[in-house]
Amino acid sequence: MSYPVDRRGFLRAAGVGAAGLGLGSALTACGSDKKSGTVTLTWWDYFTLDNFQPAFTRLIKDIEAQVPGVRIERRTFPFADLERQITLGAVSGDLPDIAIVDNVAMNSLAGSGLLADLTERVEEWGEADQYYKGPWDGCRVDGKNLGIPNNSNCLALYYNTGMLAAAGVEPPTTWDQLTVTAQRLTSGDRFGLAMSAIRTEEGVFQFLPFLWQAGGDLDTFATYGATALAYLDDLVAKGSLSEQCVGWTQQDVNTRFVNGRAAMQINGPWQLPTIKQKDVEYGVVALPRDQESATCLGGENWVVMASSDHQDKAWEVLEYTQRPSVLVPYLVAVGNLPARKDLADAGTWASDPALRLFLSQLPVARPRQYGPGYADAAQAVAEAEQSVLTGTAAPSAVAKSTATKIDKALEQR
Amino acid sequence: MRGRRHANPRSTVSLSTRRRRAGYVFSLPGLVFLGLFLAYPLLYNVWTSLHAVRLQELLGGSSEFVGLDNYRTTVAEPDFWHAVRLSLVFTAGSLLFQFTIGFALALLFARPFPLGGLFRSLLLIAWLLPPVVSGTLFRWMLEPDSGAYNALLRAIGPDALGHDWLTDPGTALAGVIFANVWVGVPFNMLLLLVGLHTIDPELHEAAALDGANAWQRFRWITVPLMRPVSVTVLLLGLVYTFKVFDLVFVMTGGGPVDATSVLSVYVYEIFFKFFRFGEGAAAGLLLLLVPLLAGALYVRRLRGEGEAA
Repeated sequence: MSYPVDRRGFLRAAGVGAAGLGLGSALTACGSDKKSGTVTLTWWDYFTLDNFQPAFTRLIKDIEAQVPGVRIERRTFPFADLERQITLGAVSGDLPDIAIVDNVAMNSLAGSGLLADLTERVEEWGEADQYYKGPWDGCRVDGKNLGIPNNSNCLALYYNTGMLAAAGVEPPTTWDQLTVTAQRLTSGDRFGLAMSAIRTEEGVFQFLPFLWQAGGDLDTFATYGATALAYLDDLVAKGSLSEQCVGWTQQDVNTRFVNGRAAMQINGPWQLPTIKQKDVEYGVVALPRDQESATCLGGENWVVMASSDHQDKAWEVLEYTQRPSVLVPYLVAVGNLPARKDLADAGTWASDPALRLFLSQLPVARPRQYGPGYADAAQAVAEAEQSVLTGTAAPSAVAKSTATKIDKALEQR
Repeated sequence: MRGRRHANPRSTVSLSTRRRRAGYVFSLPGLVFLGLFLAYPLLYNVWTSLHAVRLQELLGGSSEFVGLDNYRTTVAEPDFWHAVRLSLVFTAGSLLFQFTIGFALALLFARPFPLGGLFRSLLLIAWLLPPVVSGTLFRWMLEPDSGAYNALLRAIGPDALGHDWLTDPGTALAGVIFANVWVGVPFNMLLLLVGLHTIDPELHEAAALDGANAWQRFRWITVPLMRPVSVTVLLLGLVYTFKVFDLVFVMTGGGPVDATSVLSVYVYEIFFKFFRFGEGAAAGLLLLLVPLLAGALYVRRLRGEGEAA
């Protein structure tokens, strides 16, 4: 009885083998039915939660009814698995025709040659200028459209109306005000501010706005990274932000906010349904600014796989989903924001003040568009933030060493 | 295989040859299985480790042969050595406590007492639970605000005892080791218990008659006689513990900062976060060295025991 192979290595390779065996059947599964002229498109996404399903059922029904000769075969994966599944699919040849991917995944997918170039189709379509700059740029790599936006979101500052009134403070609009306000709102086991600084993309998503607001970016991390890190370090030192935030996901942050353990939180519009179910009086304002106003762009993009035999049909489907009569009900049902300017006054986001605020921030929302080395750079940023907030490193020193790591990561092509 | 005799060559050789052939036929399904799911993936991994494989190459199918470059990159990476150190501390810490606690419990359960069998079975639950479940449980229990352990610590001592175990880089590894000890104790206990039962009780009786007290009997009878079993248990534990991934990943994801990025987490991130497959394969094979060595030692011991018997 000996175990010379580590289990994961085994699983990994066994997966490759199994995927290889499945290849034959997969190839026969997705193809066109020549007789009726109907094309079956496979579709992957990660919208697994129950409350998303009616929106997708309806969208797919509409597509099958309105786009001639198309049948959709949808498959969902857990959020963390989709990108990995596409990678594994690239090895085995089992890839979908279309997919809805996290906008940050464009960094790794773009360089892989996995995504179909939609530039010509997009130009012919001629609706590019209807989209906000951030979401649209997030779909473009080296001047080519490798996707189009599906929906958008961004971060803003939630505050507990009652707690602010009791403390006699207004929602902050600048870094300095945030420092003072957060401190005034901190008492007992309640923190003034909650945010996520976890060691995953979620934490980086929440940190980057501070870097941008300071006036910097990943290529100037040594200077502006130090400013942003020092600012957050100060919030922790004053007790306004718990250093436990290095372990919190954005979901954890929201839980603290709705339970009254945090007076303000940085979070996205996808938390609104949860917050509305609870008995919390809240308001939402833009993230406080320093040198600049900035927030981080979230949301998903539509992509077509370069391996697909039905790229024309796939594009037809994508184009159909962008019609206002289709897009508005879909976005309302999934609770997301449109990436299109022309829909600003159409859906729930026109009347709901919180959603309206998030929508108003899309023009200053920046995509994380840095190329294939982004994952390495993001990891370096996450570790820098964690080491500062847990008190194991000084902001200026760690910003300098992190800048070197970022430069090295972003250089690779 | 050993001890083949050739007393009557003609008849026995043909019989044994036939038997051997039948043996090969019967083991064929197993061999095919091993080849497909063990040898092939392993060799594929070796191949990958010798090529520059990233997402593009994976898709394109053609990748450049780079010799030992991936190994060189890995060995030159400070993060890799940090991961090696963490893995060694994690393994040593886990084994030390798993073994001593397991030994103590084995001594306790060696003597029958009311409900002893029930408690012994209950203890096994720790070992039977999927690591994802035990990892999640421990993450909750070590939570600073609502976790059971901090509540307990605050109840028995000053408030300062309550601590954010998993988000403090100084204590996160200890927290993960703590959980892994809990997972591994039953396994150690069970094997050691079997070992204890093989010791002839007459030895203890004779020693007691000669006036040896409990400690002396433990020190001079139990410990020496348990040595072979102990070494086996520790070797197996080493193989299991060095490659633990799920428990750590669920509890801390390698963080805070890189306080719990043990080798398995490091390799996972190279593969599935950074998509550097060539480098990941090289690091993965290096990760394999320690368990492989322990495995080889274990097999040699098994063979040695067979010969002694």
